[in-house]
Amino acid sequence: MFKLNLKIALRNLWKYKGYTAINVFGLSIGLASCILIFIFVRYQLSFDKDYVNGDRIYRVVTSWKYTDGNEFSSSGTPLPLPAVFRNDFSQFEKVAAIQQSGGIIKAKAQVGKAEVKDSESVFYAEPSFFEIFNYEWLSGNPNQSLSAPNTVVLSEKTANKYFGDWHKALGNSINLDASKDFKVTGVIKDNPQNSSFPLEIIFSYASFNDRNMKEWGSVSSGSECYVLLKNGVALSDLAKPLAQHLNKYENDKDAPGKVNHTFQPLEDIHHNEDYGNFAQKNTPYNQIIGLGIIGLFLLVTACINFVNLATAQAISRSKEVGVRKVMGSPRNQLIWQFLSETAIITIIALLLACVFAELTLPKMENLFGGDVSFSLFGHPIIFVFLFGLLVFVSFLAGLYPALIMSGFSPALAIKNKVAANAGGVGLRKTLVVVQFAITAILIVSTLVVIKQMSFIREKSLGFDTEAITIVDLPGDSLSQLKYNSFKEKLLAVNGIKTISFNAGAPSSGSNNETSFTYNSSKSADFQISVKSGDEEYFKTFGLTILAGKAFTKSDTTKEFVVNETLLKKLNIMKPEDAIGKIMKIWGSSGPIVGVVKDFNNYSLHEAIAPIAIFSRKTRYSTVAIKLDTKEVASAMKNIESTFNSTFPDYVYESNFLDENLKGFYETEQIMGTLFKVFASVVIFISFIGLFGLISFVATQRTKEIAIRKVLGASNLELVKMLNSSFLWMVLIANLVAWPVAYIFVSNWLSTFQYRTELNVWPFVIAMIASMGITVITVSLRSYRAAKVNTIDALKYE
Amino acid sequence: MIKIENLEKVYKTEEIETTALNGINLHVKAGEFVSIMGPSGCGKSTLLNVMGLLDKPESGSYKFIDTELLTLNDKERSNFRKRNMGFVFQNFNLIDELTVFENIELPLIYNKVPTVERKRLVNEIIGRMNIVNRSGHFPQQLSGGQQQRVAVARALVTKPKLVLADEPTGNLDSTHGNEVMELLCELNETGTTIVMVTHSSHDASFSNRIINLKDGHVISEKINKGKTEELI
Repeated sequence: MFKLNLKIALRNLWKYKGYTAINVFGLSIGLASCILIFIFVRYQLSFDKDYVNGDRIYRVVTSWKYTDGNEFSSSGTPLPLPAVFRNDFSQFEKVAAIQQSGGIIKAKAQVGKAEVKDSESVFYAEPSFFEIFNYEWLSGNPNQSLSAPNTVVLSEKTANKYFGDWHKALGNSINLDASKDFKVTGVIKDNPQNSSFPLEIIFSYASFNDRNMKEWGSVSSGSECYVLLKNGVALSDLAKPLAQHLNKYENDKDAPGKVNHTFQPLEDIHHNEDYGNFAQKNTPYNQIIGLGIIGLFLLVTACINFVNLATAQAISRSKEVGVRKVMGSPRNQLIWQFLSETAIITIIALLLACVFAELTLPKMENLFGGDVSFSLFGHPIIFVFLFGLLVFVSFLAGLYPALIMSGFSPALAIKNKVAANAGGVGLRKTLVVVQFAITAILIVSTLVVIKQMSFIREKSLGFDTEAITIVDLPGDSLSQLKYNSFKEKLLAVNGIKTISFNAGAPSSGSNNETSFTYNSSKSADFQISVKSGDEEYFKTFGLTILAGKAFTKSDTTKEFVVNETLLKKLNIMKPEDAIGKIMKIWGSSGPIVGVVKDFNNYSLHEAIAPIAIFSRKTRYSTVAIKLDTKEVASAMKNIESTFNSTFPDYVYESNFLDENLKGFYETEQIMGTLFKVFASVVIFISFIGLFGLISFVATQRTKEIAIRKVLGASNLELVKMLNSSFLWMVLIANLVAWPVAYIFVSNWLSTFQYRTELNVWPFVIAMIASMGITVITVSLRSYRAAKVNTIDALKYE
Repeated sequence: MIKIENLEKVYKTEEIETTALNGINLHVKAGEFVSIMGPSGCGKSTLLNVMGLLDKPESGSYKFIDTELLTLNDKERSNFRKRNMGFVFQNFNLIDELTVFENIELPLIYNKVPTVERKRLVNEIIGRMNIVNRSGHFPQQLSGGQQQRVAVARALVTKPKLVLADEPTGNLDSTHGNEVMELLCELNETGTTIVMVTHSSHDASFSNRIINLKDGHVISEKINKGKTEELI
């Protein structure tokens, strides 16, 4: 029986080639998109899942609450915390400190291999880190390899890079920042891509030194602490000892903010944007859910095509149903037959979808900056997903038509007397409305995302971003002595307008917040964001001084320039009133000499912070160079050679400011692209479905059209008649879509502190576009139907 | 073999009610060849559909060798139908997507006949119907007469106790029509009971008994003894 059903199914598919093509093609594109979304979602959900004790691993994170309601959080902890936790908390099986840092790594030339020098991200980790996280050790072990000072463990890839072969790395040394040598005592297997811990070079924690080693009041996001809970310990068990700890060590009554620590589960680290992680890869759950919803939309849209065409086709298959029933086929057998037909179409579509997905994967890798490699069949779970998809789609798309067709009365069916609306015209109309509502939601969303992204691109941030290159500077004291000569050499280079040494551009990923005093000995009840730069900072970045002047040249902090937001928070009405007032930040006090116009120091998701700018040479880590736009290429070449000749032990690294700023919106850019792509796919699927449906309607109404023509209807009148119901459906779909789309886009826009105005245009454009395409799609077919030779049509009937 | 008593069937639409069968009583003996005649709309096709368990009457009784069929549920009706009845239709009702062989094989598949036995039975009937060289063809590739032969073959392949034929020659020219009627007579001679609905007195003359319907009633019954007709 199965073989026979299969034959009938295939022969039927061949007989209605056009509809089969629409079904298979629409479904395969929808399925391909779903497969791509699944691969991406699976990848994102697989982060940090491979650790044996994963469910007991927590990161200790820090937050501050200020009296003005502001909150601030960090993935780091004070440096003394890990040791104290280890002693005071009996609930922890292990506690480990890990410090992220950076530096210039040099490995001496090996036989057959030249010296390698690179700027690298490095870590200092306690041996217990590797007892909490089970890494595969190719050589050595945590206790032997990472307990003594001046030892280092490398990943297999890094060891191969520096020494040609990781076996040769053992016992050899690498040099950090042209000062200290570290002996390679272990090699670990490379981290997978789906890890929040991109550990390549790990120095022993005993080698780490910092001036804040004993400071409870200072927290850097690079100083993280991980704990492994003992079996059976719940988070609630930690509340009391944590409160005791905070009272004993950290909560100073005079401090403006109240400190707290939270235990963040390992599985949350990749998905929580509030804290970030070493890998700087975050995919919040709401994005994953958003993509999942789009995937479901795509699937539903494709399935709707299927249901619509299948129910429209039902009439023409009524004879077959009748005959089968007469022969004794029970209804459930017919249902299975039609479901298996759907399954066959789905299988064909699924195979085609795999091909489409495979072809699109490289594009998806590009979209994610090439740091992700996706593979269609790399994980067995994909097969489970594909099978699930097959069953889900077969039932979703096949069950209703199967129920309709198997329910035909055999007596009527064998005489082709099944009513023309037996396929559920009402349902078909509803489904078309649902389909076009989904399409309209996606069109509106895409338009709003595009509008917001162009708003971001075009919004003035309050400072210059064009043709400014940011070059990293070595921060050691010896290099600092060379800053002046480096500046002089640079000023001699053609195409350079101004140069400013600083600790970060007006808007950058690194923002330092600290407490301060204003005209008083008492700290203000909120924190201030600080920017360190030399006297050229204002000119280089084109900041506007509203009152006073820029500070004068100095290596230490003597004067301050503040922004308008600070004045607003301090209730100072006129900028001039702030000039001359004394501030104290980081132990240095001095007068405010100028007020700058507000500029965005964070991404446009966030409001402008109160800011103080001052000079402090020891903090400078970059040099910003404003270039003449006509001489960028030659100037860049000269800057690099000047850097290399001034700092021969270091590695030249530079970025353009506007590129760095774009990085703030990487997630939005990706979302925007995904929206554009998937909206196009949904539009395409919906319209080929519409084309299929109008083709069927036109065929079904051939006789009616011919009779109307005989009675005097013009082609235009007939086209209008066939089109009108579709236009109504699309119009209703748009009206249904508007409130849903409005809620969705206004929620999304609310994540931006600075956003484009949400007006009626995206909604109107979505309606005009969908109705316009509907008219074109439907008219193509209805005109052909109206033009058909009347006599042939009547004879045919 | 068949005892039908007080059969009533009403078709209802929103506005009107049409009585298709109005207290029909009919007995058919095993091995009989009965024709049902009457003007369009008299209820003859409805009666055939009810006899074939394709339609349900409002009331009455329908016994088939002492089994009451009107109390059966859908599944039992399907099972009873496929084991005991064969159908021949005016418009052949072959499945266009299946070949001649596959169309004839279909009822055997529903009756769960093993593959080897199925092939044997189909080949046997194809030989008997003289359509061996057409077995791989699709219905559209055959003439009307050939299509009806296939339909008859399909009705007979399960060796049913009762064959129900609804205007079997309605779509055929007289030569092909006669061929089909001869086939039905041969079948009847081998003991199969046949009930046929027809408009054609010529076709009805092949049967043993002719029942005339009008407005849902049996108005007359004729026994066909050779060329002598006796009015009851």
